[in-house]
Amino acid sequence: MADFSPELVATIQDLWKRYPERKAALLPAMHLIQKERGGWFSPETIRDTAELFQVPDIHVQGIVGFYDMFHAEPVGRHVVRLCKTLSCKLRGADELRAHVKSAYGVDHGQTTADGAFTFRCFECLGHCTTAPMMLVDEERHENLTVEKLDRVLGGLR
Amino acid sequence: MIGETRVMLEHAADPAQRTLAGYRRNGGYQALAKALREMKPEEVTEEVLKSGLRGRGGAGFPTGRKWKFVPKTTKQKYICVNADESEPGTCKDRQIMENDPHQLIEGTLIAAYAIGAGTGYIYVRGEYPHSIRALEDALEEARGAGLVGRDILGSGFSCDIWVHSGAGAYICGEETALLTSLEGNRGYPRLRPPFPAVEGLWKCPTVVNNVETLACVTHILRRGAAWFSSLGCEGSTGTRLFCISGHVRNPGVYELECGKFTLRELLMDLGGGTPSGRPIKGVLPGGSSMPVLTAAELDVRFDLDSIAKAGSSLGSGAIMVFDESVSAVDVALNISQFYSHESCGQCTPCREGSDWVRLMLDAVRRRDAGEKDLALLLDVLDRIEGNTICALAEAFCWPVRSFVKKFGAEFEAHVAGRASA
Amino acid sequence: MSGTVNITVDGKQVAVPAGTNLIEAARHAGKSVPHYCYHPRLTVAGNCRICLVEIQGQGKLQIACNTKVTEGMSYFTDNERVRKAREGVMELLLINHPLDCPICDQAGECKLQEYAVEHGSGVTRFAFEKVSKPKNVSWGDRVVFDSERCILCTRCVRFLDEIAGTPEVGVDLRGEKATLIVKGDGQLTSPYQMNIIDLCPVGALTSRDFRFKSRVWFMHFTDTLCTSCARGCNTVVGSRGDRVLRMVPRTNPDVNDSWMCDFGRLHYGFANDPERLTTPRVAGKGAPYAVAISRAKAILEGARGQGILAVASPFMTNEELFALKGILDHLGVEDRYFLKPMGEGDQLLVHPEKCPNARGASLLGFLEAPAEWASKEYGVLLYVVPREGTDLPEEVLKRAKRRILFSLKDREADVCFPLTTWIEKDGTVVSAGDRLQRLTKGITFESTLVTERTVLDRLHAAFDAGSGSEGTAAQALARLAAAVPAFQGATWQRIGPMGMKLKAAGAPA
Repeated sequence: MADFSPELVATIQDLWKRYPERKAALLPAMHLIQKERGGWFSPETIRDTAELFQVPDIHVQGIVGFYDMFHAEPVGRHVVRLCKTLSCKLRGADELRAHVKSAYGVDHGQTTADGAFTFRCFECLGHCTTAPMMLVDEERHENLTVEKLDRVLGGLR
Repeated sequence: MIGETRVMLEHAADPAQRTLAGYRRNGGYQALAKALREMKPEEVTEEVLKSGLRGRGGAGFPTGRKWKFVPKTTKQKYICVNADESEPGTCKDRQIMENDPHQLIEGTLIAAYAIGAGTGYIYVRGEYPHSIRALEDALEEARGAGLVGRDILGSGFSCDIWVHSGAGAYICGEETALLTSLEGNRGYPRLRPPFPAVEGLWKCPTVVNNVETLACVTHILRRGAAWFSSLGCEGSTGTRLFCISGHVRNPGVYELECGKFTLRELLMDLGGGTPSGRPIKGVLPGGSSMPVLTAAELDVRFDLDSIAKAGSSLGSGAIMVFDESVSAVDVALNISQFYSHESCGQCTPCREGSDWVRLMLDAVRRRDAGEKDLALLLDVLDRIEGNTICALAEAFCWPVRSFVKKFGAEFEAHVAGRASA
Repeated sequence: MSGTVNITVDGKQVAVPAGTNLIEAARHAGKSVPHYCYHPRLTVAGNCRICLVEIQGQGKLQIACNTKVTEGMSYFTDNERVRKAREGVMELLLINHPLDCPICDQAGECKLQEYAVEHGSGVTRFAFEKVSKPKNVSWGDRVVFDSERCILCTRCVRFLDEIAGTPEVGVDLRGEKATLIVKGDGQLTSPYQMNIIDLCPVGALTSRDFRFKSRVWFMHFTDTLCTSCARGCNTVVGSRGDRVLRMVPRTNPDVNDSWMCDFGRLHYGFANDPERLTTPRVAGKGAPYAVAISRAKAILEGARGQGILAVASPFMTNEELFALKGILDHLGVEDRYFLKPMGEGDQLLVHPEKCPNARGASLLGFLEAPAEWASKEYGVLLYVVPREGTDLPEEVLKRAKRRILFSLKDREADVCFPLTTWIEKDGTVVSAGDRLQRLTKGITFESTLVTERTVLDRLHAAFDAGSGSEGTAAQALARLAAAVPAFQGATWQRIGPMGMKLKAAGAPA
């Protein structure tokens, strides 16, 4: 089955049992597929996913393009998502973004030269009372300061 | 001094509450047992109706009435938990899911029983991996204990519940978009009619309720509608979770009874005022999709109807505060950036208009717009609002219009001396 | 959903069928509600928002396409509030539209242009750079896509998914960046893909075959049929001067809804072929019609009765077949056949009979040609060569001592008359389901050409001066209907542009 690992295929087959239609498992499954396929959806991964789910490839591509957490371009070893929406902005998100740009040379959508991380400015990540915050892969870092951000991002290199 | 009334968050600080044993020690799943063993489904709905519970996702629709729309057919039905919490400023549902997930599961099962749903899905936004893990762990324990799945507590009632992760799209918090997304599609809102209660998931009757709403259901069944409606005030019964963020000394999620204090008292007593000591300039009382209130409007009583009378809304319970150091134009621009990014792109007015509004505000910010452009901006908002499938258009039209009107002098200063761009 | 409901549209009371949506209902009151995404044969998307109307008693404007009439409903399609909302939608549709009408193939038949005139304000207030999207994208050898012109109505997406059954186009990205994408290698494969060009209300999807050939306002349009198979899809042929430039489907719910297959649509080049025969040939040399007709008469008289084999074409109209029948009756010819080209059919429209009028030929007494021809000798072969797809075996052709042919191209014969194509004449055919439908003349390929019916009528008159058979197609049909029971009651008027079911259909020919 399209070269996914047997473990992944088994997990996805389990997901299918939760819904009357396989297609419904696409979003949960695509998180797992993206992880196994290096953090993004290449045209090949899109085709493989479509084949596994027996849906048109444009359906999978349309989902990748619709949901911000799926990537249509290659990413670094980690994905850093810095919240830029109002509560975080009011508590310094713009300054953090400027700092990332000057200290790490990346702005929204860019990957550091060493491939350590891809930086994305995200809309509200739902941690408004502990703003500013960022997600590094699946780990969250709240009440960020420049120092704290440096400690986390420095550890990714 | 305003105090919290902790019901949903009573045990949030206790890590044991996340386990089934801990939850049960504090009375967990007794409400479910009572509903299944002693009540008919329609009695459960009546109890919720009597409690005065209104949806906590933003629209404030009476929960019991929503349940009553479900036709009495033998067809498959679904309960769907809206855990896509993505309205800017809102992070309350996360507290429930991460710290006390069983009360959500219990409330979901009670709702499922009331409407006759055999399957439930908890649609959690993808950006909440911790919530997803906490719910999955809790569900596994509950399933192991016969609380979820077949023949729950020997009652003959069966209901499976699954966690479903979203993947980063604000619009999926809109209930019909959530359903479209859950079925494995781009998250497009649907045309109504038909309404989800009649045709939802896979064309079957479906109720979509917010996390906090269902957590309340657990407590209503545990302690009774009369107890619930004795809390808060008329029109805003029970307790509500509020997220205070932005320029306050004590940002946080607070569980409060509405109607007992004013917005200013809330921000001063619990919020602790601004960290800088500068005066508050404006407050968004119900998420970024609601009209802003100025410093002069903060003495309004804090409940659904009073805030509505003041021209705004409690929305999702997200109170965002900014002080005098902040440019109103910047805030309006930040809000419009959010909505133009999140427009699904289906409807012409929202797809094209959300971006135009963003561009116009950006031009104002850069002092590259003229006096006529403010009138144009307001006119364009008029052309967009009310003319789309879902309410995302209103979600940026309302706040942006309120900013231009209430901070008019500031906007005018940005465009002074220019006729147009 | 039965019966009618009474409603009021812009103050005018009308009764409409229950279950009607407000766009269709407005037509009953003589009102048209503008729409882009709505199409009566596709599911409702409700995304363009131009069809907003005000329903009395409802706060918000509602889209007419997704609202059904209810008893006593009153709504406004044209009041101040509706006009303002519409003008707003028009403006928003155009802010990112390139407005490249001077070089856009859709110009002249573009709903953006039409509605901008009717419902727009005439000015743009948008002062920013427009969104840049992919242009001139090849979707294969038939369709070209321009994303900047696209208004994302998703008619194409829905057609391929819901009607053609091949979900080949989808939407990528979101918000103002959203764009259409094509599956696999980006090339459409559906045999019905060109319908999305007709469905596209703007110039986002254009036909590689037609684009840049002509401005539509210089063209002449003719309501007729496709003759590539027995379905008889109703069509409109667009021509300029004496050449066919395109053919598109014409809506007929009883035949082809609003669709046609790409093969039929693109199959018109034979009509424009410069190599076509345009004057009769006698013994391989050009001759006036009068000479050719008298030569044909002499040949037929020489053979008489059983010495003649007649092979008709299922591309002939009923009136042509009837004219041929008149001659054969007069001469007492019994061996009357026609050749029937066959091929693949499909579930949607394509019929396995690759000709328009095999049924008509049967009803007029011609027999399907046998698989094996008897080795009978004929003095004369009178043969109307099928336009395509089949031909008489060489040995049958050779067996006749004399040959009178009707053919698109010159062929070896004693007399060879030119064939005219479907777009050069009026006439009727019997399409699938025994539906009598009309062909209408749209072009004159060469002024020298005389149609087959006239040639046959003149030939008949040469034998029998009293046959009195010439005249219009309508008159020929009237004679035919009076003579052949299967056609009883058929008149040119009754058939109309939409066709009629033959009453005596099913009766053995």
